[in-house]
Amino acid sequence: MKIAKNPALVERLAAEYVLGSMRGGARRRFETLLAQHATMRRTVSEWQDRIMPLAQFAPAVTPPPAVWQRVEARLGLASASLWQHMLAKLSFWRNLSLVSSAFASVLLAVLLLKPEAAMTSYVATLENDQAQTVALVTGDLRKQELRVKLLNAPKLTTEQTLQLWAVPKEGKPRSLGLLAQQSVSDASLRFPLPANMAPQNVPLLAISLEKKGGSSNPDGPTGPILFKGAWLQL
Amino acid sequence: MTEHNFVAAAVGADSSQKQLAHWLAACARQDGVAFRALYDACSPKLFGFALRILIKREWAEEVLQESFINIWNNAAAFQSGLALPMTWMTTIVRNKAFDLLRKMRSDGAIVEIDADSLQDGGMASILETLEHPDGSPQDAMVLRDDAKALAHCFAELKGAQRQAIALSFYHDLSHSDVAAQLSLPIGTVKTWIRRGLERLKTCLTKLEEA
Repeated sequence: MKIAKNPALVERLAAEYVLGSMRGGARRRFETLLAQHATMRRTVSEWQDRIMPLAQFAPAVTPPPAVWQRVEARLGLASASLWQHMLAKLSFWRNLSLVSSAFASVLLAVLLLKPEAAMTSYVATLENDQAQTVALVTGDLRKQELRVKLLNAPKLTTEQTLQLWAVPKEGKPRSLGLLAQQSVSDASLRFPLPANMAPQNVPLLAISLEKKGGSSNPDGPTGPILFKGAWLQL
Repeated sequence: MTEHNFVAAAVGADSSQKQLAHWLAACARQDGVAFRALYDACSPKLFGFALRILIKREWAEEVLQESFINIWNNAAAFQSGLALPMTWMTTIVRNKAFDLLRKMRSDGAIVEIDADSLQDGGMASILETLEHPDGSPQDAMVLRDDAKALAHCFAELKGAQRQAIALSFYHDLSHSDVAAQLSLPIGTVKTWIRRGLERLKTCLTKLEEA
């Protein structure tokens, strides 16, 4: 009998295949047929979408941090290379669209910080993964001051904080300050502008989500990087 | 609020399948930041699932680790047209967990089956969540729409059908293993599983069309 030509049978077998109750030789024969028939593969895929949500009936459990650290180590994704990777992507992107993005940033800076616009020397617009602008950071060389304006301040618990980082071309990321919860709602924060903050040395700024008190690692974020953007000279 | 809930809220997107597919596509381009976001969003659910299968924490941790390495290495093979991202990742975790389970069983290790699966097909806590939607908004939120639909349809099956299906799904048991666990003839178990799956499909299709 041609199994593939019998939709009702394919349906039944696909369900048992996905559930796992089809075993041994029957399972191997079914897999051989799967390799040959796209319609059977589609039926299996439909059953997977139907049955796999059963997995969610098990309560969620946060895995210990060591699991991520081992994954990161095995794949060579340790923070250093991650930063290098972000910088590489950034320089590619900058070469393509330096002019337009710089123009957009300047325009935004002028719109948002009109009175001080003339004093501003550096600017970065930090975006999330969906390319929505979340924060505007400006550096004032004369006042030696960094200003952070959060445009879409994310909600934090009392145990969380945001940390702003300068990502240099070479060497380790440098913390510029914590955007603590109270001040996040003020939506505008000031920090002293450190030395060596020219975009030639520091092409990227980033904000990470950290536990209260900031990253336990002085050389870079411990939590995920939520927002990032190119640091540009005006 | 857990970290991954926060991240989801912060970037203005729930951990919907679309977002997961977006991160997977970025992983295929070797984007480590997207991979971390994917891990933060999905690892609690996937770890909970691995724990349900394996019971032992160290085994579940090993399986989670191997699964995410596999997800990163094979992200390019994920085709969003064919399967949902969570289905794809869940399948990887389940395969890895069953590989370990088989290895342990063949090494002679005794593998426990958790009481929850035996009692109500692993449904006890979920049924409770569904019955008290106001009581625990956190838990209710954690269940995605496809899981809610499945929970609804699963709840309509007979208790014994639920048990037989859950034992196969979570514990890699054959028809005869399930029959032994439930002290029933194998023919009965086969019929229950077949009819149970048919009823699930009918119920889910009706919900989709509604």
